[in-house]
Amino acid sequence: MARGFGVNVVADHPEARWLPSRHRFALAKLIAFAKLRGAPPSVNGAEHLIFPIDRDQTAAEMNGVALWIFVTAVCYIAAALPLIWPAAVIVAIPIAAIVLQFPTVIIGPIVRMLIGDGNHIKIISVIAMSLLVIASSYVAASNSWARYAAWFFFAVLVVNGAAAVIVWSLRGPIRAAEERCAQ
Amino acid sequence: MTRSAWWRRFLVRGVFWRQLLRFAILNVPPWIEPIVMAFWAAFFLLWGPGRRGVMRNLKVIKPGSTSIANFFRCYRVFWNYAWTIADNVRFKELHTIPDWEFIGWNQFQAMQASNGAILLTAHMGSYDLGAHLFSETSTRRIVMVRAPEEDPQTRAFEEHHGAEGLRIEFNTRATELALDLLETVREGAIVAIQGDRVVGAISTLPATFFGRPANVPAGPFALAMTARVPIYPVFVVRAGRRRYRLVTSRPIEITRSRNRDDDFARAVAQWMTELEAVVRGYWYQWFTFEPAWPEVSA
Repeated sequence: MARGFGVNVVADHPEARWLPSRHRFALAKLIAFAKLRGAPPSVNGAEHLIFPIDRDQTAAEMNGVALWIFVTAVCYIAAALPLIWPAAVIVAIPIAAIVLQFPTVIIGPIVRMLIGDGNHIKIISVIAMSLLVIASSYVAASNSWARYAAWFFFAVLVVNGAAAVIVWSLRGPIRAAEERCAQ
Repeated sequence: MTRSAWWRRFLVRGVFWRQLLRFAILNVPPWIEPIVMAFWAAFFLLWGPGRRGVMRNLKVIKPGSTSIANFFRCYRVFWNYAWTIADNVRFKELHTIPDWEFIGWNQFQAMQASNGAILLTAHMGSYDLGAHLFSETSTRRIVMVRAPEEDPQTRAFEEHHGAEGLRIEFNTRATELALDLLETVREGAIVAIQGDRVVGAISTLPATFFGRPANVPAGPFALAMTARVPIYPVFVVRAGRRRYRLVTSRPIEITRSRNRDDDFARAVAQWMTELEAVVRGYWYQWFTFEPAWPEVSA
């Protein structure tokens, strides 16, 4: 592992894309660890590669979570609209895209006012996820068809929690596999 | 501040959008980011001149394409542009770097080892991010030449939030800048210039681009000829979320003969071949919002 650009980077190891440290959520870390163990030293078209070690780096994880959150929000909003469900889903799509930006647009300036300019991603991330948990609790307890989406939301949280326990118990092998890859 | 100046900040090139982007980079959780990008890329489709410019260009790049297909292609261009400028601001504000893949690594190393060179690129992928990568990894000094922001407030904002270790020159003071750059290249530095479109009153050279007459800036070719240094075509292409590919092609050597126009024509033709191949392959990342061929109707 080398240091460049002020961050840790791994150069010329294509399998480094599966480093668990490059993933944020425990479930993704666990999948990445399995992939890293099974990955042969692969070759791609590039002649030189640089992989920074950053928890938010992977596309599949972040796009997957974004899609899941978006579909969940669409279900909650569609269920609340006084329309037949296909029309409600169509109307809910743009509304969900706007509503999901509220935590940033409303809480962001307040946080900035309280603690000053800077990186507030962590605090807004916690607040946004908390709001989703509150909304999901409400929908899960209702009789609406959207309760299945809410139950799925909690199921994913539980699975991720279980994955976090496994990742913690495997922290030694994970560190060893990462060091092997980065050498 | 006058009433008109107050409104100018909300125009498409106004400072408000730069401030909003910086705010988003510092506040949006990464797991919501794709939704935010999708929304704002759709919002900017309301920008008529930009949308029409991209669609006109696509009509030439993809002959026989329909307006409806090009409208959706235009969304893809805006989507990639949104990610690219976001990655650039993220680098400046949070020092977050993307994954990098290098194609033509030998040429890239040769450029770094050369005693002065011109890095000729296009308005694609992230020009700024590529230059920053270069300034961080290379022992060579890099000087970027670009068109200045039209809006004075936007210009001031960009200057205030610029990355360290990178010198940026604006192509407004032609003669003075040419002499400065000549001296810089002769000192062994690398001068990065965008050579795919002409902005403002600068001298040009005739070219053929996608089978149609076009103009390219004469500056990089004249500079290479005067300083006797090679031109390296380099393209920074977005390959996915926080993933970029840096493609370096064979250098363009400008040989001096008795016929200066022929020397330039040969170099321009080689450049246009490289540029056309990249734009054809990565049309969704050619961020030229003005019509490159004004005679083409939308």
